[in-house]
Amino acid sequence: MSEFEPNIVAFLCNWCSYAGADLAGTSRIEYPPNVKAIRVMCSGRINPMFIVNALQEGADGVLIGGCHPGDCHYSQGNYYARRKFQIIRKILEYLGIDPARVRMSWVSASEGQKFADVISEVIGDVKKIGPAKNINRI
Amino acid sequence: MGKDRIGKLVQILSRNTLYAPVKRDGITTFEKVEKVEDIKFDYQNSDVPPKNVLFPQTETTFKYTLGKDQKIEVPKENGKNIILGIRPCDARSFSILDKVFEKDFLDIYYSEKRENTTLIGLSCNEPGINCFCTSLDGGVGDKEGLDMLLTALEDEYFVEIATDKGKAIIENSPDLFSDASDEHAKKKDEINKRAESLMKRGISVEGIEEKLDKIFDDDLWNEISMKCIGCSVCTYLCPTCHCFDIQDEATLREGRRIRVWDSCSNPEYTLQASGYNPRPARINRIRNRIYHKYKYYPKNFKVIACVGCGRCIDKCSVNMDIVEVLSRVKKI
Amino acid sequence: MADLAKMRNEIKKIVQRDDVKYVIGYEKGTYGWRVSPSFARTPEEVDKFIFSPLCVNNLAVYLVLEEKLPLPKGVEKEKKKIGIVVKGCDSRSVVQLVQEKAISRDDVVILGVPCSGVVDPRKMKEMFGKEIGTVAIEDKGEKYVIVIDGKKREVLKEELVSENCKTCQYQNPVISDILIGDEIKEKKEENYSKVKELEEKSTQERWDYWKEKFEKCIRCYACRNCCPVCNCKKCMAEKTTPVWIRRSVSLSENAGFHIMRSLHTAGRCIGCGSCERVCPMDIPLSKLYKKVEKDVIELFDYRAGLDEEEKPLLSVYSVDDSNEYIL
Repeated sequence: MSEFEPNIVAFLCNWCSYAGADLAGTSRIEYPPNVKAIRVMCSGRINPMFIVNALQEGADGVLIGGCHPGDCHYSQGNYYARRKFQIIRKILEYLGIDPARVRMSWVSASEGQKFADVISEVIGDVKKIGPAKNINRI
Repeated sequence: MGKDRIGKLVQILSRNTLYAPVKRDGITTFEKVEKVEDIKFDYQNSDVPPKNVLFPQTETTFKYTLGKDQKIEVPKENGKNIILGIRPCDARSFSILDKVFEKDFLDIYYSEKRENTTLIGLSCNEPGINCFCTSLDGGVGDKEGLDMLLTALEDEYFVEIATDKGKAIIENSPDLFSDASDEHAKKKDEINKRAESLMKRGISVEGIEEKLDKIFDDDLWNEISMKCIGCSVCTYLCPTCHCFDIQDEATLREGRRIRVWDSCSNPEYTLQASGYNPRPARINRIRNRIYHKYKYYPKNFKVIACVGCGRCIDKCSVNMDIVEVLSRVKKI
Repeated sequence: MADLAKMRNEIKKIVQRDDVKYVIGYEKGTYGWRVSPSFARTPEEVDKFIFSPLCVNNLAVYLVLEEKLPLPKGVEKEKKKIGIVVKGCDSRSVVQLVQEKAISRDDVVILGVPCSGVVDPRKMKEMFGKEIGTVAIEDKGEKYVIVIDGKKREVLKEELVSENCKTCQYQNPVISDILIGDEIKEKKEENYSKVKELEEKSTQERWDYWKEKFEKCIRCYACRNCCPVCNCKKCMAEKTTPVWIRRSVSLSENAGFHIMRSLHTAGRCIGCGSCERVCPMDIPLSKLYKKVEKDVIELFDYRAGLDEEEKPLLSVYSVDDSNEYIL
């Protein structure tokens, strides 16, 4: 019986977390391959509906990666993203969608190892709770 | 038929796909049932009309997959349906819907289901406070559209057969039914008369078509439409409303085309691709809805597209009242 | 309601003003206990106005519902004001609309009426659903005196009053040009008891609860349409490029729609309860929206609809916002 391999969608901001992911790759740091990265210019661009749609389309977990607070390339984008994330996370938790599925992390462009650690942690958590069947469209 | 026999009847009927009123979390709807315990017989009328059975809110017209094994499949509905416990007004709505789904071009999704469906009605012993079916050629014991009608007497149901389909049910299980006596018939008439006398609302719709012709630009429509909030509750819960939209839901490799309920009270209903909307304001849309039901439909199909079930009056949050509107129309 | 005649007199003065188009208020409905929104353009039409615990609708929605159709060349936009009768909760809606610049403060004449609670239509329907004759209600503190066909009946207030009103903190309008009636001195506290009840259940239990509710939804959008704060020209639920929420009615799309609406009204919803009231399928929406309200207060100390000058919730941020659950 093969183990459940989760599908994680990661929205990564171009300047920090995507570059961090890149660094993890060039430094040959190993991390689980279950993540599908989508590059956005800033984490503030992320409409909370992206998370909902990702869960509807079959993602088992969603990760939002942004610059550290205060270091946003566009000065305030990640602050707005943080607010939106808190709200959507609480709503989803209240409706019965496990909060381990929707995560956010601050990863800067030089933190390749941290990126790999974050991914491993998220995938590990989602593996424990199984596939997301709540609002799956399929 | 004795009331204690209803369990056996349900058992026999559920060999087909049986739909009956079910109470789900406070709301009564018509859903598939297999056991008589699930059925709720003491209800005034369902919240969602049984048009949902023959004209579902979301219906796949075809599915497709692309790529090497490209294929298109049309869902096949086979098997007979039976709707048990439908009220005479809702059954009448089906004969009204038949006319539009069968005119000029046969709607196969609706009519295939309709042909394979038997309607067993349950007449109303007590009308709802907003019922006015008697004003629209209907009645608590009206058999229009039904194949069989049950009237609840004290310990038994008085069964009346209206069509061959109804006859087939009796011939299928003759031991459940026995001949009715004149006593029974008299009791049934008494019950029906009493129920109809309890109906407090009514409006004469004679000459309404001609009247509506003359008052298209009257200020009445402005007054009425100002309080409408433009939701779709009256249209979705109306047994004769039948507007729909066709949408495609697709991913890169596969998809399906669906038919969904639409509502003329949405501004997007008449929004054209150029951006122009011929019915931009609520006054246009509400006036259109009333005209459609009481003038355009009778002009095309010789029957008013309203059965007097009163759901729109019950569920409207701002107290839009079709009976009041019609009485004001008559006074102009 | 102190004095109906006094209220009508005040409103007549407003209607007669040159710069007022019409006044929105409540009038007796067409049967039983129903009450309908009413639009008075002349003093005679004001005589229909009433105010009682049966006046449940939030009238602020009509301020943004009026269509602004394109005008022919040369015709100028009418600059008249609209008068509106508001209860405590409704006044917060008006403040929220002014805050978001959906309307301008000069566009409205606000007639505030202190409110000691309105009825829950479902409870009314259960108790008086068979009465077609007019049902009138008077608020007598702990109980309601109900008059049907001349016969009086007394019912304990808590059996009929809306759950929302039991913990209302804003019984007096927070904004008004004219206050009609005496200010209510009583202070109530919001305790979010129903929300906490649901929060304490396990994740799976919560999903089972909401799954049952969302499966009932028929996507009539009555909740969206009756909400004063849901006033987008094109709702995201109806956009097709791209498709956020599909038109098909299924658990996934219904849940998506309700999540979307609670997101978009976060920090803007003032908790009037209209959405739950108008839902034809009895979905307990106030449990969801009260939860969002509670979170917004706890996380950002932000309350909607109180200050006209305040900035909207998601257009500001604080450097010290919570970093909870962020890796």
